[in-house]
Amino acid sequence: MPNIDDFIRPKEWVSDFVTDIGKVLREWGKDKYLPVRQNIDEDWKHHKIVEPLLKEVLVDLGINAAFFPYEVGGTDIPDVCTLICILGEEGARIDSGFTVACLCSVWPMLPIILKPHRNMKLLEEFGPKFCGSELYVGCNAMTEPASGADIENVDRMQGRTIQTTAKLDGDQWVINGHKIWPTNSGDTANLYGVVCTTKKGSTDLDDFAFIYVPADAKGVSVGGPYQKAGMAADMNTDIWFDQVRVPQRYRAHGPGDDLKYFKEMITYGNMATAAMCLGVMKNVYEIIKKWTTERIIAGKPLKEHSMVAAALSDIAINIEATSAWIHMYAREVDRPDIYGTNPWDDTLVHKTRGLSTFACKAVEKVCSSAMDYMGSYGYSREFDLEKHWRDSKMLGLWMGGLGLKQMENARYWYELETL
Amino acid sequence: MAIYPSQEWCDEWKDAMNNDPACVETGKNWGLDFPGDFLFEITPGSGLDKTHYMYADIKGGKCLELKMLDSQGDKKPGFYVTGSYGDFKPVVKGEKDFIEGIVRALFIMKGDMGKIMRNAKYIRAMAASISSFKNEYLGE
Ligand SMILES: Cc1cc2nc3c(=O)[nH]c(=O)nc-3n(C[C@H](O)[C@H](O)[C@H](O)COP(=O)(O)OP(=O)(O)OC[C@H]3O[C@@H](n4cnc5c(N)ncnc54)[C@H](O)[C@@H]3O)c2cc1C
Repeated sequence: MPNIDDFIRPKEWVSDFVTDIGKVLREWGKDKYLPVRQNIDEDWKHHKIVEPLLKEVLVDLGINAAFFPYEVGGTDIPDVCTLICILGEEGARIDSGFTVACLCSVWPMLPIILKPHRNMKLLEEFGPKFCGSELYVGCNAMTEPASGADIENVDRMQGRTIQTTAKLDGDQWVINGHKIWPTNSGDTANLYGVVCTTKKGSTDLDDFAFIYVPADAKGVSVGGPYQKAGMAADMNTDIWFDQVRVPQRYRAHGPGDDLKYFKEMITYGNMATAAMCLGVMKNVYEIIKKWTTERIIAGKPLKEHSMVAAALSDIAINIEATSAWIHMYAREVDRPDIYGTNPWDDTLVHKTRGLSTFACKAVEKVCSSAMDYMGSYGYSREFDLEKHWRDSKMLGLWMGGLGLKQMENARYWYELETL
Repeated sequence: MAIYPSQEWCDEWKDAMNNDPACVETGKNWGLDFPGDFLFEITPGSGLDKTHYMYADIKGGKCLELKMLDSQGDKKPGFYVTGSYGDFKPVVKGEKDFIEGIVRALFIMKGDMGKIMRNAKYIRAMAASISSFKNEYLGE
């Protein structure tokens, strides 16, 4: 009897070891998360349930440390993109909002973690905190009130809309600005990776800066959490930086390279988003398979009606296609030695935008179609589908939304010049 | 210098683990409430004529026993690692990373992955200690 483990996953590229890491997360989720999953929506404001669970995954299961170098207390697991995809998939099968909170903890650290551009000086400073026995969480603060998409659309906007400024004063950066929505904002994060400009309105890409700011630095303040349609396990608030001073060395790399590795972060973000879509779809597959097997309509199981079978087939096809595509690109990201493209190259940034678009549309369709065939039960909390339905819409809205994702993808494939 | 694999080599690795503060510190919970012993199966090739087995009993950050075996016998270790001599050699030499070898399926590790993840720092330290002393190799 086929199950979620029978969907495509190339064994040549995803070893049993990595698959097993995913299964540890799956088992943990079964024991610890599923029993409270239906209560997470009410926890949106204070994260009384979520925070201890974040610690279990990031600290006890070693997910934070998995990405950091051994020298600073990490386990330095190679083929990072594949690992992120497996974790993203398994996590989102349980709760995509919780998973984004987990993965976004290390997301802003990737510019200094990933090889070949590790910044060991900063890793020696921050690594032991992320890899220690206390919960230490990162947050990637890009979006601003004016337009999140404009900030991520660096190829065309060239950073000119970034309002958060970083001015060098002696050997310190002075940061002023306002970020909004970042995953793990509010009281969750201990360290922000902040997208800034060193010259407001500049289109010089060297002025794009990515600077680390400890959440307890003087002048940092946060607003209350936003109540959203879903993804309650992810806290999203405003963050204000008012004359915040951090050491000069807290800039990830420097002119030019900050942007380069920011783009690499976008590639990884696209991949993780697609993986989360896949995880949600796999759980929907489990839910709808059980439902249409047990529900008897017109004298036979619901799945035995041709219209329903066609819809079920579509769900499986979307899962297969998304999974195959994810692992193909993950391989490309992990092995520039084979494919000749770096994860920060526009080729991969824009191509993975296409994958993310596909996966986000697929997950919406899959959730909606499953709900169609569960009738009112799909819409009720008890059956776990409606949460995925609400949460998964957001997978397509972040990181610039579908508009930017499709535009950037077309920019690559069709050599767009004006968009 | 000990030949890898041999009982002399096992003795050296045992000493290396037990004298390495990173192993002792990060492994203090290893094997306390679960079987933390390892059996390494090294398959032939690259100078090794037949399959060799190496058994390591590890608890609380200390290697209690490390010995060559003729076969798996009745041992049911917590963790079973299989790989070829040709793949193990560069790890022991410090030229290749053991964790990378596992992630990329050069080595197959069977056992409770939850324990590995919760104690990943210990596995890292243990893997690093393997290449902390000089050896001789078969087939070279
Ligand atoms: C749960 C959640 C998690 C989040 N996590 C993070 C995070 O970790 N870090 C962070 O910085 N932000 C985060 N965000 C914010 C999110 O990334 C932004 O909301 C998103 O980038 C879109 O920005 P915006 O809302 O300002 O929309 P706008 O920028 O106003 O865009 C509106 C619409 O216009 C489209 N559009 C944009 N440009 C073009 C164009 N040139 N042509 C055609 N259409 C276009 C967009 O695709 C979008 O559909 C998160 C938000 C939520 C709700």
